[in-house]
Amino acid sequence: MFAFLLASLLVQGSSSVGGAPATAVERQPRTIAIDETLAARAHLKVGDRVSISALPGTIGDTVIVGAIVRRGADPSEVARGDLRVRMHLDQIQRIAGYGDRVDRFAIATTPAADIPRLIDRINRVAFGFNAYRSRDIAVETSRTFQVVSRFHRAIGIITIVASSVFLLCIMVLKVEERRRDIAALRLMGISRATVVRSIVMEAAVVAVLGSALGVALGWAASLFVNWHYQALYRTPLEFSMVTPATVVFAVSLSLVLGIAAGVVASLRLVRTPPLVLFGR
Amino acid sequence: MSARVESPIVSLRDVRRDYALGAERVHALQGVTLDVERGDYVAIVGPSGCGKSTLLNLIGVIDQPTSGTVAIAGRRVDAMSDREATQFRLRNIGFVFQRFYLLPILSALENVALPMAEAKVSKAVRIERAAELLRYVGLGNRERHRPSELSGGEQQRVAIARALANGPTLLLADEPTGELDARTGAEIISLFQRLNADGTTIVVVTHDEDLASASRRKVHIRDGRVVDA
Repeated sequence: MFAFLLASLLVQGSSSVGGAPATAVERQPRTIAIDETLAARAHLKVGDRVSISALPGTIGDTVIVGAIVRRGADPSEVARGDLRVRMHLDQIQRIAGYGDRVDRFAIATTPAADIPRLIDRINRVAFGFNAYRSRDIAVETSRTFQVVSRFHRAIGIITIVASSVFLLCIMVLKVEERRRDIAALRLMGISRATVVRSIVMEAAVVAVLGSALGVALGWAASLFVNWHYQALYRTPLEFSMVTPATVVFAVSLSLVLGIAAGVVASLRLVRTPPLVLFGR
Repeated sequence: MSARVESPIVSLRDVRRDYALGAERVHALQGVTLDVERGDYVAIVGPSGCGKSTLLNLIGVIDQPTSGTVAIAGRRVDAMSDREATQFRLRNIGFVFQRFYLLPILSALENVALPMAEAKVSKAVRIERAAELLRYVGLGNRERHRPSELSGGEQQRVAIARALANGPTLLLADEPTGELDARTGAEIISLFQRLNADGTTIVVVTHDEDLASASRRKVHIRDGRVVDA
């Protein structure tokens, strides 16, 4: 069984290249697993021998790096600079001087288990500790991230609304630029309904193409952001995501605003007499 | 045996048009009476501000007179609703503007076919007729070109073809050579003459002496009145 030891432990190790070869009579060093950030910082690879101890300068246990573990996509790990070593429970207890003390342990349940009842039973009989549902702990610890996430969402909505107003203004201005063309169409006998329909259709096409371009740019930017920060923090965590819901929201909003802008601008123009549009 | 008397295509009777300009009233037209016969080619000439364009607007059913009557092809047009006037213009009047006003995203063929689409002409017929009109104005080889790929003279010829799309009773032109150089203007003048020779009734407002001279009849306007027709 492996247990976690956060990187307050000093890794005093060096590569096994310079070390003495193990013989059959010697006790085979035990293995540990380290996370890839620690491996990168200490230049360790699988098979290396290292000495681990609780305090710098003291004689520790010689162990072999048996595995390098990629970190999970946990936002809480990105902010912390912890380095992780996994080792056998008895070894970590001895090195840490914890004896038989246990801070926490997890109980796996079957899918059919009645979790609230189980928690209730444990809490009634246990002395000195409490049982919690892992989901509740996760919610409690991720509250900060929920706040941050809401903050980001608010920024996103403000950005979208601001750019929507910008889009609306641009559309109105673009239609205004064509007042003489529209006047000419009206003089030729093109009906108001046809003029409005064609402007709205054009606005809708522009809005959809614009939002598609925006989604493509967002997707590319998202790839870059993830590539950069995943490398920087050595985490598979996705820092930026373009989800189908985001795409649907962006295209829908753009389409609605584009059509609204087309309707507003075209109605303004077709209600103005053609001669006024011509400036006469 | 009885002689058939055709009514004029354009008939204006004691037409006045006043505009409010602040507290003042401007009398743009002051009792104009004018007939244009079928097949005629009339140039309305006069100094700037004399009322030429106002007269053209009334004939084109774009504007309504303050008093008097305007009839086009025997139909009173001086009190039409906007919807009626739009329909009337679509089927009876072709407009040629000084600045062409072609839609930049459409090809020459599509620009010419546009009024026919509004008149619910079938696609096959309108493409065939638009191509025929472009050939008539000498642009049979420019069907697929957009306005930005055409010279000023070519754009004006496309605009003329567009004006003829629904077979109008009357072709109205407002300074059609105003944006063109002398050589290109001469081509347009020649095209107007050919159109008239082929039976199109044309009324043109112009300062261009050459264009006015090419018409069958000049109508001189001064201070809102016809001084010589």
